[in-house]
Amino acid sequence: MAKALRTEALLDFLRAVQQDARRLVAPVEEDGLRLFRAVDRVEEITLAEGNTRWSFKEVLFPRSEALFHYRLSGGSVALQEPDQPEGETVVFGARPCDAAGLAVLDAVFAPNGRPDPDQAPEHEDPFYRRRRAQTTIIGLACLEPGPACFCTAVGLSPTGTAGSDLLLTPLPDQGVFLAEAVTEKGERLLAAHAHLFTDTDDTKEQATRAAEGRIQRTALSGVGGPLATLFEAPPWEELAARCLGCGACAFVCPTCHCFDIVDEGNAAGGSRCKFWDSCGFALFTAHTSGHNPRATQPARFRQRVLHKFRYLPERFGVQGCVGCGRCIATCPVNMDIQEVVAKVTG
Amino acid sequence: MMSDTFEPKIVAFVCNWCTYTGADLAGTSRMQYPANVRIIKLPCTGRISPLFIMKALEQGADGVLVSGCHPGDCHYTAGNYHARRKYTIFREMLHFLGVEPERLFFSWVSAAEGRKWADLVAEVTDTVRRLGPRRSAWGEPVEGIAAPRLSANPVPFEAPAGTFAAQAEAMREKAKALLAGGEVGTVIGYEQGTLPGTARPAFVSTPEEVDRLVWNEHCHQNLAVYAARKPAKPGKVALVVKPCDERSLVGLLQENRLAREDVVLIGMACHGVQSEGALAPRCAACQTRTPALADPVIGEATPPTATADPRLEQIARIEQMAPAERWNFWQGHFSRCLKCYACRAACSLCTCERCLAEKAQPRWIPAPPDGAGNLSWHAVRAWHLAGRCVDCGACSAACPADIPLYLLNLKLAQVVKDAFDYEAGRDPAAAPPLTTYREDDAQEFIR
Amino acid sequence: MANVYLPYLMTVAAVRDETPDVRTLRLEFQDESIREGFRFRAGQFGLYSVFGQGECVFCIASPDTRPGAIECSFSYRWGGKVTSALSRLTVGDTMGFRGPYGNWFPLDAMRGKNLVFIGGGIGMAPIRSIFETALDQRAEFGDILLLNGARSVSDLVYKAETEAWIARDDITCVKTVDPGGETPEWDGKVGLIPKVLEELAPSATNALALVCGPPIMIKFALESLAKLGFGKEQIYTTLENRMKCGSGQCGRGNIGGCYVCKDGPVFSAAELEQLPPEF
Ligand code: SF4
Ligand code: SF4
Ligand code: SF4
Ligand code: SF4
Repeated sequence: MAKALRTEALLDFLRAVQQDARRLVAPVEEDGLRLFRAVDRVEEITLAEGNTRWSFKEVLFPRSEALFHYRLSGGSVALQEPDQPEGETVVFGARPCDAAGLAVLDAVFAPNGRPDPDQAPEHEDPFYRRRRAQTTIIGLACLEPGPACFCTAVGLSPTGTAGSDLLLTPLPDQGVFLAEAVTEKGERLLAAHAHLFTDTDDTKEQATRAAEGRIQRTALSGVGGPLATLFEAPPWEELAARCLGCGACAFVCPTCHCFDIVDEGNAAGGSRCKFWDSCGFALFTAHTSGHNPRATQPARFRQRVLHKFRYLPERFGVQGCVGCGRCIATCPVNMDIQEVVAKVTG
Repeated sequence: MMSDTFEPKIVAFVCNWCTYTGADLAGTSRMQYPANVRIIKLPCTGRISPLFIMKALEQGADGVLVSGCHPGDCHYTAGNYHARRKYTIFREMLHFLGVEPERLFFSWVSAAEGRKWADLVAEVTDTVRRLGPRRSAWGEPVEGIAAPRLSANPVPFEAPAGTFAAQAEAMREKAKALLAGGEVGTVIGYEQGTLPGTARPAFVSTPEEVDRLVWNEHCHQNLAVYAARKPAKPGKVALVVKPCDERSLVGLLQENRLAREDVVLIGMACHGVQSEGALAPRCAACQTRTPALADPVIGEATPPTATADPRLEQIARIEQMAPAERWNFWQGHFSRCLKCYACRAACSLCTCERCLAEKAQPRWIPAPPDGAGNLSWHAVRAWHLAGRCVDCGACSAACPADIPLYLLNLKLAQVVKDAFDYEAGRDPAAAPPLTTYREDDAQEFIR
Repeated sequence: MANVYLPYLMTVAAVRDETPDVRTLRLEFQDESIREGFRFRAGQFGLYSVFGQGECVFCIASPDTRPGAIECSFSYRWGGKVTSALSRLTVGDTMGFRGPYGNWFPLDAMRGKNLVFIGGGIGMAPIRSIFETALDQRAEFGDILLLNGARSVSDLVYKAETEAWIARDDITCVKTVDPGGETPEWDGKVGLIPKVLEELAPSATNALALVCGPPIMIKFALESLAKLGFGKEQIYTTLENRMKCGSGQCGRGNIGGCYVCKDGPVFSAAELEQLPPEF
């Protein structure tokens, strides 16, 4: 039977959760934008509908992190593993699209967790893996998807459970959040705070229908199929003429995971750092010789689209875009990935 | 007490011909002065890039001293005059960002002034020792001080009814005529965006496609960013420009990125544009509402809604903050920076083929989007746009992190105006302020 | 869990100038157990690092039959940050290596076959690895032909070794330089690799060809091999892309849907044909 959490009890629940974990990350308002931040007081959390400016992926895949530190003295080198101080973390307020996006990060950074024996378990990102194991996701279903949202167009739902450990769906008429434990972690969370939850016969069906009904964007059917033959065919030149080649789309995206590695430091030592990068940047694939396999912005934009809609499904069996709409809203020139895919596959 | 034990690290960048020789003289004459200063010798103050000052601070210097030949004595004629202009701006910028100005010293020390050098070093060391260590590392907030927040007061947007529709019609007619005429291969204008209340750049190359083009209060992007790109279609490019966008063209012409006859400008008399539902901050007091450079000017302008630029008040409020607060104000904003470089990509005057941010040998700007990397990035970008930024607002509008980049750019525009009586993007024939100098440029800050 | 980004510490045991801008480093593992235990397969690549400068990717240029050390050959012509730093290393210096990554040449399929090795310029590095691997088990293979070509005499890599290979009578080794690249003393062939290859005309029967070099050379060498009757499954080559992680995560290694770092770097000509034009 489903569980219900009274709307007024949400903060009590979060406070209790915060006490158990080392870190609670949730959406807050800052300088006029909504962002995921580690919160001190649960009262800071905003429950406003709609997505934060960028996703919470940095909890697991920080925008910059040290892979190791090095000290140089004379000719000798000493390497040192970095600490990972975050510890047990609970993310609250993950929208279903963002939570579903974890599948992509998991597939790329922690492939061994997947039950696919063909994927050689040779390489895992140990930092991601550790953080992932220490993170619990409390999802928050959307009742009012915005004009950029298109999760339903890629087979997801504003009340979907994928990626969440525990999903809360607001049922304002009943004055409760419907709580669904999706994973064992979620079960444990419910069990640990059982006194706050009651059994209920309510379902989220109606909320789901209403929320899905608000999404105006057309379904992207046959994704993967048509795109498989569209490397040269669609007029990428025209579709991407206005793309500026920045990294805004990639950095706000819950599934983008490209990164760069550089050594930062001075003559005495420093760190080898891994940090976010974007396939939209002109130098992303440039060789030192000057040769660039993706020499034009349209070629780079094509990479962005095909990576999400073809290579990831083909290669990792995951949906590369979860329809959060962030790139559409954030792009300075409104490059609209849903519009583009609908156009080239339609 | 800290000051009893604190020995500041001070980096001195000096020119080879005058100050270094002067310092040498101080040494050979056995004048006593503190050993806190590490001297780095360069050929000329003209070679002492402000980036060196920034790097020294990033690497933990407690104070920086720059010294070279007296005006008129430069071994290379005018290196110190150029340098003086650069430091004038850079110093103000660091100050605005919250670096205590008392940690930065500029002087002229000749080869004969061993005594002056010894005294200077003693004074510098003493001053910095009294200030104590820097209160935080480069790019890290000062602990124990909350980041002050500024709230802007949005000005409601109003445009006279009907103006946009008539202008749009005339603009489309013009665009069609240009494309039909054959000389113009691509018109870059605006079309409706896919989100409610948005417009976006549009590239059209046939008269039929022109019907997509719109003109309304949402047309805020600066299309000059595409001016210097090679068009995919043969023929010239025609750009739809607002008066502020047009200033970018002036900059591109000054810097020889473009020749005037390479592009056709369809100028739109302006009523201001919207950002996030209100009048864009730069528009409230904008005085230039009619394009000056454009081929046709379409429509008639509406006068500004405010007499004073509301952003100047924000700048004044930042200037009232103590250095540590100011520092934290900026760190608060910069900490959000993702290094997505949308600001750079949207800027029509960020025209470097390879941005300093991408240069690794040496790496002036730490690459990762963390404290040091972000602060250096913002300092360098603002610095490189000083005297060039035309206040088009494109960078701030593009920033996904809503960092008020315009405050920094505008502040530097003020500095340039005050110090060199120059405004970017006004006169294609004018020499940009950092390419020239006057012998009587102000130099109160130099000892 | 092991930190896959942590390189092995290596000591530079030897530095050899191949050409004015190509250098070979011999690298020994500092940790004894790794020195004993490290294995790779010819064709695989690794990331080489100079601490404080960064990492860059090249193949391992030594045969997989001689454990204990590896060699790499790299060009520093373009003045990249890491390659420049590598070129400043001297014997005894410490640097880093992580790997091996990627797939390898099909050694098992090569057994019993006649082998044609073709290397152009720095493309000889992976060829040298598999070629010497084969030489170390000479009896397992049929006829062996190696063609080492370069733009000019001074650009020819592995000069001393090439002379030693030429002197052997159980293999055929031919060196060539592009027309105009010869010197008065040059005793090798003068001609572009594809042309020399057609002159040598190795038989395609029961044979495999392994080709590596600049893209334009590969393109024409593949055409020449086709003329000689080599089928697409009989030809292997290696590709190179800019990479950061070495393992299909950083987003650079792909050509269309194919990840050079995981599916490659070794590809058959048949596989190559399937790739979109993005390299
Ligand atoms: S699609 Fe938009 S956000 Fe992405 S690179 Fe292009 S301009 Fe930047
Ligand atoms: S590609 Fe765009 S819509 Fe899709 S998941 Fe990423 S940010 Fe969201
Ligand atoms: S710095 Fe910003 S405001 Fe200035 S010209 Fe560039 S985009 Fe426009
Ligand atoms: S656009 Fe904003 S987030 Fe992106 S690099 Fe510029 S300041 Fe940083």
